[in-house]
Amino acid sequence: MNNFSMLMSGFAVLFTFQNIAATVFGAILGLLVGAMPGIGSLAGVALLLPLTFKFNPTTAIIMLGALYYANMYGGAFSSILIGIPGDGPAVMTMIDGFPMATKKGRPGQALLTSNLSSFIGGTIGMIILTFMGPLLAEFGLKFGPAEMTALLLVAMTSIGWLVGENPTKGIILTAFGILLASMGMDTLSGYPRYDFGSIYLLGGIPFVPFVIGVVGFSQVIRLMGERHHETKLIVDKLSIKSSMITLHDLRRLLPPAIRSGFLGTFVGVLPGAGATTAAFMGYAVQKSFKSEEPLGSGAIEGIAAPEAANNAAAAGAFAPLLALGIPGSGTGAVLLGGLMMWGLNPGPLLFTNSPEFAWGLIASLFLANLITLMISWGVIPFLVKILSVPTRLMIPVITVVCIVGSYSTSNSMYGVLIMFASGVLGYILSETGYNTAPAVLSFVLAPLLESNMRKAFIISQGSLKIFVEKPISLVFILILLITICFPLIRVALVKLGWMKKKGAV
Amino acid sequence: MKKNFFVAFVLLVALVLPLSAQGSSESSGAFAPSKDIEWFVTSSPGGGSDIYTRAIVDIMNKYNLVNGKTFLVMNKTDGGGEVGRLQVSRVAAGNNANHTLLTFNSGDHAPMIQNTANRIENFTPIAVMAVDKQLLFVGEHAKYKDWAEVLAAIKAGKNIVIAGSKGDDIATYELLVKELGVTQNQVSFITNDATSDAITSVLGGHVDIVMSKPAAADQYVAAGKLTPILALANSRFSGNLASAPTLSETGPYKNVENPIWRGVVGPKAMSPEAAAFWSNAFKAVSESAEWKANYIDKYKLVPEFKDKDAAKAYMQEFEKTTLKALGK
Amino acid sequence: MNAEKKRRITIMQVIPIVGIIMSAAFVYLGVYKYGFWDEFKGPKPGFFPTLIALLMLGSSVLALILSFKEKAPTWTLEHWILPLSVLALLGTTFIIGLLPSLALFVLLWLRVFEKCSWKTTLTVFAVIAFIVVGAFVLWLGVPFPKGIILTMLSN
Repeated sequence: MNNFSMLMSGFAVLFTFQNIAATVFGAILGLLVGAMPGIGSLAGVALLLPLTFKFNPTTAIIMLGALYYANMYGGAFSSILIGIPGDGPAVMTMIDGFPMATKKGRPGQALLTSNLSSFIGGTIGMIILTFMGPLLAEFGLKFGPAEMTALLLVAMTSIGWLVGENPTKGIILTAFGILLASMGMDTLSGYPRYDFGSIYLLGGIPFVPFVIGVVGFSQVIRLMGERHHETKLIVDKLSIKSSMITLHDLRRLLPPAIRSGFLGTFVGVLPGAGATTAAFMGYAVQKSFKSEEPLGSGAIEGIAAPEAANNAAAAGAFAPLLALGIPGSGTGAVLLGGLMMWGLNPGPLLFTNSPEFAWGLIASLFLANLITLMISWGVIPFLVKILSVPTRLMIPVITVVCIVGSYSTSNSMYGVLIMFASGVLGYILSETGYNTAPAVLSFVLAPLLESNMRKAFIISQGSLKIFVEKPISLVFILILLITICFPLIRVALVKLGWMKKKGAV
Repeated sequence: MKKNFFVAFVLLVALVLPLSAQGSSESSGAFAPSKDIEWFVTSSPGGGSDIYTRAIVDIMNKYNLVNGKTFLVMNKTDGGGEVGRLQVSRVAAGNNANHTLLTFNSGDHAPMIQNTANRIENFTPIAVMAVDKQLLFVGEHAKYKDWAEVLAAIKAGKNIVIAGSKGDDIATYELLVKELGVTQNQVSFITNDATSDAITSVLGGHVDIVMSKPAAADQYVAAGKLTPILALANSRFSGNLASAPTLSETGPYKNVENPIWRGVVGPKAMSPEAAAFWSNAFKAVSESAEWKANYIDKYKLVPEFKDKDAAKAYMQEFEKTTLKALGK
Repeated sequence: MNAEKKRRITIMQVIPIVGIIMSAAFVYLGVYKYGFWDEFKGPKPGFFPTLIALLMLGSSVLALILSFKEKAPTWTLEHWILPLSVLALLGTTFIIGLLPSLALFVLLWLRVFEKCSWKTTLTVFAVIAFIVVGAFVLWLGVPFPKGIILTMLSN
């Protein structure tokens, strides 16, 4: 229980007026930055870093921690309300969040589901971080290139669940996403590939403009056909009550949120995996559990699983960051830079050299989690109002946000061009029965898979044995074989009458 | 209808005005900044080059070296940084050219030569500020405890894997392999996106050795998680890195040193007066106490200031040797 | 292809054909330019993309065969107005800069295309201006492109 008392001392550090104000301020800024497409947590933290120079280190990093954390909440807002995921993790939230808000007419409940799941996932992540932080970090280290390759292969096969009714088209777009992601500089060899002589393509296709285009801008083009329809949703009263979820909804929300909380924390600890992978895996795992409504049609489970996972991952990522000084993501790297700027060296010595600081930061995450939940709960009624704005007025607004957001990711018109091209492409593809979600996900996962696989082969000198010699990797390879073979086995079992035919889920 | 256009016009002007307000005033003779300075950095916020740039900006602001004007630091990472570099090289002569800077390191210069037709003559070198060097480290539970054991393993025909970062690290690795007289298959190198990723794989015991600059490895050395085994320099490092021998101490080899310089350039079209002003401003930064305490000492670099002429000669020489190594 | 009625190449065929061309190009470059397998280091830069491109090639051919049974969607001009306007916007950005182009786009769109009242137009304009100028320009300090006219003016 030593860690518990340390956490309490962390709260003691936290409970000064200045530090609490910093947490609240950071949480509000984080929500805003997260809700704006294109400005992810990386840019948000980086841009606000100078703001914190006026404070003492503890207050400053508490504010940044809160900001980073609240970001994970904010990303879901634009996903659910206007169908534009602001950052990677929010892509999964959109798949069920947007239909629930629009088709089912329950935007308030969709937002609340996302917030509550974020809270639950985050809390689980933080509790694990508090009691097992250094252990968790050591566990993450066990995942070398071979282990990560095996894990990512398992993750890639679950894209299959998203493919939908037309597997051929699904495979084409999965492959398309991977090929797009492979363009640009090849880190391992240091040479450009598939750049077709273009200096822009040398840096590859930027992810955020690509997502804003494929998912967001294509959506606006589609909306053009519905501009003169009456807005179905009429919000008569602005109250928190009208967006409350029922006890039944809560029962549906809890199991996936708790499951994803543990899963997400685990993924967050792994080197280089990050919140997007966590959200995706949370959703994929939910596919193999029962959901009351089919996933993709606006199911509560489909919002709860990825949202809880990405917040848990954000908390889990603090374990290697604080205990080993290893940033799990770009944002982690900026936080690390911030820590070093104040003369604090994150790493194995942080907990012994500056305990008040380390535990203050962890305590501030708990507080930020609670405060963000309350703030975002409070603004739901106002956010829902956005849906009652007529479509024809929303079109120019969303268009401008798409353009500005894609410009801001790299301060370059190249981002806008990519957004535009992928938007038009996304529209054509979705009109012709191609589901674009697999392309977005394979775009994120494939580069991780490829670089880990090639590193593993360098270590093993081109031998495949490395994947079965390492125990963790072997376990994942077995899971992979079972996942691939299971549909075949099931057909056999059904034929033999040993298993019931799967009902229409 | 006329009224409508008038309203639209007013709105447009209202949007445009704040942008052009940072007006212009041509000064003759000695140069002094007359508008905000656009400083391009071709890596992401929080990376090594970004920290370096912002450290300089802080000191310049503190000592008011830029006539009270502001720096706009622009992280332009498109095309592995090539787009930003190309854009700076093409700024047309005039006030804009005199107010544009670019963070330029050997880690930017080498890929630029390798992958594009852009060359140093398209820029105005302004200064070289510091030089960084690397070491090899092993992890806590490593197979090998020191460099002598590694050499013995190599002689016994075992395979060694070194993990490191992009750019400079690869060049240093190639020098090392050449000096040792082994093939790249026997001592292989894994390129990571950042040194921290490389350190992670060594801490987990997945590779044998990691190559790092002192700054990134400092904490791990202090905590006993990493042990320095070889200094890739002509003399030993100081402090907790002093235990690592140079290559010539361990056998019949020459030392391997691949100095990684950190500099600043402007567009080719920058006027000589402006270049002289900036060169002096960077000199003042390099002489400040803050620079030494908050950058050089903190990140264990070697201070080495070169003014615009010396920097020019230095960068040209670097380009010549790199081109030769690439066989171009 | 024993078709009774005349078959036309529609978008349903164009997409798989583009997929075939793209994947074939990736396979070719992957094998001949970037390299497939190294004896000691395993996969070369072309290895992974080539495998994936082969997968895409196969499924594109399959999709092409299946596509003749599919009905192409009908395109309406209405949907294309937006991409076309954005394209025009990208053009004006090079001349007058991004922010004025966006302002022009919003004003023309609402007032001329949607025929909104001045009150609606200006309200929406104000909301957008608040988001863009307030959040992106003032707070986050994003440097938007100024276009050639302003760049020349400030020189």
